[in-house]
Amino acid sequence: MDAEAAKYIGAGLATLGMIGSALAVGNIFGNFLAGALRNPAAAASQVGNLFVGAALAEALGILAFVLGVLMIFG
Amino acid sequence: MASTPTLDVQTPAPGDLHAETQATAEHASGGLPQFEFQHWAGQIGYLLILFVLLYVLVAKVFAPRLRKVMDERADTIDTAIAAARSVQTEAAAQAEAARAEVEKARADARATAVAAKQRVTEEFNARLAADEAVVNARIAEAEGAIAKTRDAAMTNVSTIASAAAGAMLERLTGKAATDAELAAAIKGAA
Amino acid sequence: MAGPIEQFEVKPLVEFGTVNVPVLGEQVIAITNSHVAMTIAFVGVVGFLSLATSGAKVVPGRMQAAGESLFGMVDNLANSIIGHEGRKYFPFAFTMFLMVLSMNLLGMFLTFTATSQLAVTVTLGLIAFLTVVVVGLVKNGVGFLKLFWPAGAPLLLRPFVGLIELVSFLLRPITLALRLFGNMLGGHVALKIFAQFVVQLGAAAIVTGGLAYALIPVAALSLGMTVAMTALEFLVAFLQAFVFTVLTCIYLNDVVNLGDGH
Repeated sequence: MDAEAAKYIGAGLATLGMIGSALAVGNIFGNFLAGALRNPAAAASQVGNLFVGAALAEALGILAFVLGVLMIFG
Repeated sequence: MASTPTLDVQTPAPGDLHAETQATAEHASGGLPQFEFQHWAGQIGYLLILFVLLYVLVAKVFAPRLRKVMDERADTIDTAIAAARSVQTEAAAQAEAARAEVEKARADARATAVAAKQRVTEEFNARLAADEAVVNARIAEAEGAIAKTRDAAMTNVSTIASAAAGAMLERLTGKAATDAELAAAIKGAA
Repeated sequence: MAGPIEQFEVKPLVEFGTVNVPVLGEQVIAITNSHVAMTIAFVGVVGFLSLATSGAKVVPGRMQAAGESLFGMVDNLANSIIGHEGRKYFPFAFTMFLMVLSMNLLGMFLTFTATSQLAVTVTLGLIAFLTVVVVGLVKNGVGFLKLFWPAGAPLLLRPFVGLIELVSFLLRPITLALRLFGNMLGGHVALKIFAQFVVQLGAAAIVTGGLAYALIPVAALSLGMTVAMTALEFLVAFLQAFVFTVLTCIYLNDVVNLGDGH
């Protein structure tokens, strides 16, 4: 296998890391929605935490994406 | 790329500087432009300057200005609310006073009405009493008159009776009785 | 056609020469498109704030209301996270927020996004990190090291937990920088790729004709995707600035209220 092909395979594999991030973000928003429906009065005060949590989870997916980009272009 | 990179880096003429950097860029990495480190220092330094400038501006000018206005607004709202609250209590007090006044007026009116009624009743009673007295007097007078008439009648009756009795006695016995005897006898019969 | 990563190229507009910097190697001193973007963002922020605060009235105008809503948001953030000392650190958090937000949003209008440059995000991350370290050292002195001495853990485990704490503390600027960088890079690359599909597929359909006309719906779909992603990118631009500020406040709170169990 030549190095160019390995690069693309590696980049493709790196994107798999986004699966975890997708699950995490979905989990966060799903749980928020479930909690918000139980107690709508408290929901508004937790939106900040929601987005911070989502951003933290998303960052790991972004990391996988950056690794993939680095493999193709780096 | 717009211009083809020249690898002729030996001539550092100002015009060729652009081409030269592009050549070194191509040489450094064919990858992400972000990892071409030759532009890092310039960006970092410039961003630091801008950040410090903005920090100073925000800390010394903008934040105090906005903070002042927002505090002022909070003050205004607080005083307005306090004023509204005092006005409200005042209005409540006034309403209370007005109600008390109305209550008092009503009580007064009621008292007046009662008094008037009482006066009228008393007057009526008094007049009634006066009328009654007059009527009673008349009745009494009439009764007196009746009694006098009756008495007169009764004396007449006894006179007639004694006369009749004297006559009957004279006829029966042939002897006339004295008036005194007759009167006593009638009295005893009556 | 330009590749999807060409938009991130730093192009010198006016060059002044090169210097050698110890860690980074040979550096070009120049006014680049990155400098221009940062300048526009800075001028935009200053202009916006001047408009919002000049002749500030108790009953706000349109600009003042906009400025106040941003101000109030970050103010609430700083106060709720850091506590009663939040006011002191508010200007820092607000500056950070405005810097990141303006550069992110500007990237939606210009062809160049300053926050998609790793140099820029690393600088912002390091500013936040070093501020935290300096504030921690000034406020707590040597007690700053208690941050890495977890009093709640069993004595035997403490060194290991402390080591993990230390590593995660040192990783903070990197995660801060990479999160912002990755979000901006990823969003703009994806936008560019979808936008390219529209042009390439549409051109192919028209030039080739015949069966290739089937590509036009695909191009239309890509156009829809581009529009939707543009909206999403606006949200991300705001959200990343918000998250950056929240995390900065959380990190500041760690050292400001050290040992308070706040």
